Amino acid sequence: MGKDFRAIFWKDIRMLVSGKFFLLAMGALALYTLYVNFGYVRLVELSMYKVCLWDPQGICVDGSLLLQRASSREELDRMLLEDPDGVGIDLSRGKAEFLLYRSTPQVERYLEDYARSLLRPQEDFKAEVLGAFTTEEKQRREITCELLFFELSAVGFLGIAAVLFREKGMGVLRVHACLPVRGRLFLLSKLAVFLLSDLCFAILLTLLNVGVGPGLAILPDVLVETVILSLFMALIGLCCALFLQDFRQFTMIYLVIAVFVATPVFLSANTSVKAGWILFHPFYHLYMGMKNAFFGTPGESFFYYAGAAVGIGLLYMLTAAAFSREMRDAPGGLRYAGKDVEKREEG
Amino acid sequence: MIEVKNLEFSYGKEKQALRGLDFDVEDGEIFGFLGPNGSGKSTTQKILTGILGGYSGRVSMLGEEMKGRQGPAFFQNIGVLFEFPYLYGNLSALDNLRYFSSFYPKEKLRDPLKTLEELEFPAGYLKKTVSSYSKGMRQRVSMARAVLHNPRLLFLDEPTSGLDPSGAVLFRRMIEKEQKKGTTVFLTTHNMTDADLLCDRVAFLAEGSIAALDTPKNLKERDSGHCVTVEYMWQGRRDTRSMTMESLKGGLSFACEEILSVHSQEPTLEDVFIRYTGRGLS
Repeated sequence: MGKDFRAIFWKDIRMLVSGKFFLLAMGALALYTLYVNFGYVRLVELSMYKVCLWDPQGICVDGSLLLQRASSREELDRMLLEDPDGVGIDLSRGKAEFLLYRSTPQVERYLEDYARSLLRPQEDFKAEVLGAFTTEEKQRREITCELLFFELSAVGFLGIAAVLFREKGMGVLRVHACLPVRGRLFLLSKLAVFLLSDLCFAILLTLLNVGVGPGLAILPDVLVETVILSLFMALIGLCCALFLQDFRQFTMIYLVIAVFVATPVFLSANTSVKAGWILFHPFYHLYMGMKNAFFGTPGESFFYYAGAAVGIGLLYMLTAAAFSREMRDAPGGLRYAGKDVEKREEG
Repeated sequence: MIEVKNLEFSYGKEKQALRGLDFDVEDGEIFGFLGPNGSGKSTTQKILTGILGGYSGRVSMLGEEMKGRQGPAFFQNIGVLFEFPYLYGNLSALDNLRYFSSFYPKEKLRDPLKTLEELEFPAGYLKKTVSSYSKGMRQRVSMARAVLHNPRLLFLDEPTSGLDPSGAVLFRRMIEKEQKKGTTVFLTTHNMTDADLLCDRVAFLAEGSIAALDTPKNLKERDSGHCVTVEYMWQGRRDTRSMTMESLKGGLSFACEEILSVHSQEPTLEDVFIRYTGRGLS
């Protein structure tokens, strides 16, 4: 069995090499690294929220130096119009009134607390800085996590489906049905090739963008999350390639997954947009698992790993059933072989 | 080698593909399986090659009754050539053969290079990728793949399809050579010339049933009118006359100056097929 697996494995590697998959992955790695190191951390500034104060009675005498004082209510309004993400404090009536020009209910509370902490830094309302990362370190971890998640969920998924569609088109699945080899080796080999490729990608992306020292510290957790996400996506890709007729149908499904599945996850995890149902979205948990791994706070429960294992197991069973059906029916081969040969002979 | 008793198979509740097939194939025989499109040929071949289950009746292959999914030992003893040359387009002929041969025991394998030479595969293309081959070249590689592990039972589906006449002759010689080595051949074809020249026996399949099964010679004789047509010259004119074989014993019963040709009126295998099944093959 080991010999059979090696044969299929090397054949799959050659398929990927000839399909320029590794070249594309290296290109993506280079592009992401350039973007993170020379674009994102240099050009994107995550400045603190501006807190503006109008205190005509001079009540606030020991406020933070971060407070920007306005000389009139009109000036306070003008300052907030210039930066609508900022917070305004009106002390003209002797009591703090908080002004928020643009916010959401979820963020409002945090902004108000932050502004209060600047107003009375000596008292209970003191802002606590979570974690010991510098802004750049946070940025690097955040963006590397997002890029890795995108690469694994969108690009790897596309890659594995493309390879299987190609084999389906060549009709070779039908040949494998008559070979003395277990069908599951064919699937396991593909999963192994893509998993190894994803693990190498994750290692390089993490070390190049988070830094070698901090990257090595979080690598074990990142790789665990990579294994889970890579297997999920590879199995979904295989399933799609086996159930769908052609690559055109697959591109439609791909769009559905990209737009309607991945978008709410990114929005919920990275912005103030929160939907209650997102907690039932498995990819939200996978994304948060990845994010926690990058920030060195892996706190996923037993249920998370058990759920992932069950999900992967079920997907594998579904893929294996679809693979058996495909070997039995193999409808794609006739079309490909015929058309391809006709084209060649016309040429 | 193959024993099929009362084989029935349905795709769903409504479409019955096979309706009680009964036939057997002897060791070392070339058995032709002929039928128009949709007659059940592919379904039968899928069952015999262990791809399709869920049938009723009894199928015995290589001396063992087939039950469920077959194990590797079964597939080591069969070789399958599909109607279309299914190969990895991104690999060369040699790489394809090396890959497919890696699943068989080494001691059973032939030299892929020699096999391709035997099939007159152009040496200049050995290391080029299959995507640059013509259909004839692909078919040669597929044939090499099917026989590479010296199978005891060879399933051939339209082996000469897409080949030029000399390629078809080469393939027929190859099939005969395999038979001489003791290989049993199950040949599915539309090509009556192949069936007539190669097969020891043929079965005509129509709508999931066997309409006739015998040697090509017997089938043709059975439906023959046993007469000949003689074309001759008499008094400067060309004329033809039909007569029975029996009447030929006493010599020609008419005067002639020169006999131009004598045609036996034996039906072709295709005529016999149409007579039995009511349908042409294409």
